[in-house]
Amino acid sequence: MPFQGHGIGRSNIAWQLFMQLAAYLAVFVFLGWIFGNTAGWVVFGLFGYLFVQMRNFWGLYRWVRFRSVLQPPNLSGHWGELTSLIARIYRRKQYHKQRVANLLREFRRLTGGMPDGAALLGANNELLWFNPKAERWLGLMRKRDVGLRIENLVRYPAFIQYLETGDFSHSVTVLQSDAQRWLSIHLVQAQGSKQKLLIARDVTYEMRIEAMRKDFVANASHELRSPLTVIAGYLDALADDTELDQTWQEPVREMRRQSERMRTLIEELLHLSRLESTLQQSYPVDVVGLLTLLRRDALSLPTCPMNIVLQIDTNAGLMGAESDLQSVFSNLISNAVKYTPSQGKVVIRWWVDSEGGHLSVADTGIGIAAEDLPRLTERFYRVDSGRSREQGGFGLGLAIVKHGLQRHDATLTIESEIGKGSTFVCHFPLERLVMQTVPKVVNN
Amino acid sequence: MEKADLSHHIFSRFNDDLERLRTSVLQMGGLVEEQFATAVQALVNGDTAAAHRVVGNDHRVNAMEVSIDEDCNRILATRSPAASDLRLIVAVIKTITDLERIGDEAEKIGYIGSRLAAMERPADRYREIKHLGHAVEQMLHHALDAFARLDADAALETAKRDRMIDEEYEAIQRQCITFMMEDPRSIRRAIDVLWVARAIERIGDHAKNICEYVVYMVHGKDVRHIRIEDVEQELKARSKSSVS
Repeated sequence: MPFQGHGIGRSNIAWQLFMQLAAYLAVFVFLGWIFGNTAGWVVFGLFGYLFVQMRNFWGLYRWVRFRSVLQPPNLSGHWGELTSLIARIYRRKQYHKQRVANLLREFRRLTGGMPDGAALLGANNELLWFNPKAERWLGLMRKRDVGLRIENLVRYPAFIQYLETGDFSHSVTVLQSDAQRWLSIHLVQAQGSKQKLLIARDVTYEMRIEAMRKDFVANASHELRSPLTVIAGYLDALADDTELDQTWQEPVREMRRQSERMRTLIEELLHLSRLESTLQQSYPVDVVGLLTLLRRDALSLPTCPMNIVLQIDTNAGLMGAESDLQSVFSNLISNAVKYTPSQGKVVIRWWVDSEGGHLSVADTGIGIAAEDLPRLTERFYRVDSGRSREQGGFGLGLAIVKHGLQRHDATLTIESEIGKGSTFVCHFPLERLVMQTVPKVVNN
Repeated sequence: MEKADLSHHIFSRFNDDLERLRTSVLQMGGLVEEQFATAVQALVNGDTAAAHRVVGNDHRVNAMEVSIDEDCNRILATRSPAASDLRLIVAVIKTITDLERIGDEAEKIGYIGSRLAAMERPADRYREIKHLGHAVEQMLHHALDAFARLDADAALETAKRDRMIDEEYEAIQRQCITFMMEDPRSIRRAIDVLWVARAIERIGDHAKNICEYVVYMVHGKDVRHIRIEDVEQELKARSKSSVS
């Protein structure tokens, strides 16, 4: 039988098959013509043809189904061509499979060695994949937990709230109480995809350092306070002593001023650590009355701007701790007063809208550079250390504001332009507002 | 009943309802776990603020119980579930009761913790309470994990730990009695510690109950008040007969 190698077209093969069958039948018709009984010969020939085809089919079937695919059976004619085609496809598939498997193994090894836990979540927060670290830290089970929703297995209330809000700009920190491990969990949503990547990081060390820092500041300030009281007491007595030698009078006065400065610093540090640690009790605070008082205090300062305006749009009060709110507001107001020249203007405004209560303190002072804004609420951060020390600041005021506001679920926004002035706005949530406070008489 | 079983309904709304129910139970479980862990930690560290926080948060647990209960009623009334779905809902109704009780016990530990914080701390710094607390925390965690995974084997394994916790509770009891006999001035504190140990031990019992509901939910078999070994054997025999 004429047989060509690979690379013949499909229609060609069909034509060849047809020609083959035609030639085969022609032989049997010829035999029938010679020996008589043409129909019998043709039927016999067809059966023979069918038998050969069926045997080949059976061989191919057995090979594909049961045998190892690597050694194709020796089949005749076009069947042989078919087997070599199948073998080729299979080899190619095998090669790709091997490559993907290698890649996957490599990926597994890499993610296994990752210092962080990682997990992939689907559209309904179901687990699609996770690495061994995530498995250990989040208490997951390989194979078993794929497809389960993550919130069913990682049940920290803080994490669930984080998952529900859908705001993944920050991370959430949870404590694993049995292992005493702090985990910082961060979700990343791929753009245009409903899948999320979960990254868990062990932040125990950082949390411990943070706790140590807080403890240290609180303890150190506390311990420093008692000796300082003694020193300040003696200095007070000395400064009032009229019989003191003339040459000592000025140094004693200076020492007294400095010890007073130190005392204020320690008081502020203690106040800050109190804000960080203790539980607050909430009761209604009359904001309007508080602001009126604070304005009067500010006006009594020797270097105050001429114009301090109190703009009260509502008589709503706040649920909170009065002492905290007072220190927050007074820090904001005294900052504004401090950095505003005497012909400038300070506007204090308290208003309520659909989002909650807002208190703004706007001044026409020197303003703050944009690059300083993000760091402004850090402890001991000063825009210009020389200048603020002159004004008697420690760089703790805005840190106190930030912590005081955090305890009232409030946020602080700062807008400022060099030379034009700054505006500090505190935003209090609606649930903190109290509408029924009795307004005190405002007398400016 | 595997997780795929929950998604066999033609009405996908029903599926969503059941799935959401399960998730909210586990969410409540998570809150209770945290309450309990915080309460024990507050007691061990003498942290009054944390103890107050636990007491103040108990109403959230109660509110969740009420809302899940309502969801169950609604599903029962509108979908009239059968077989495994019905078992799920029955198990949920029972589980939330136990979770609520655990919340109450945690609140109690919080109360006592804030009282103990004001008193002098013993030399062992409540080591036994810490240890017992951690064991029960783990038990509760595994019980809820078994609930999430519908894993009856893990549930039985966890339920077995209750015996160990009972033993430990008895050890603390004996220790407290010794303290009281040695030094009558410590009686007040020892009684408080005893109350806490008792509350933790009760939480262990509730966790065991949750494990039993998981077995009920998966196998449809009520395993309360039966020795766990017997249950295991029977379940094993049953799975064998169903295979052959």
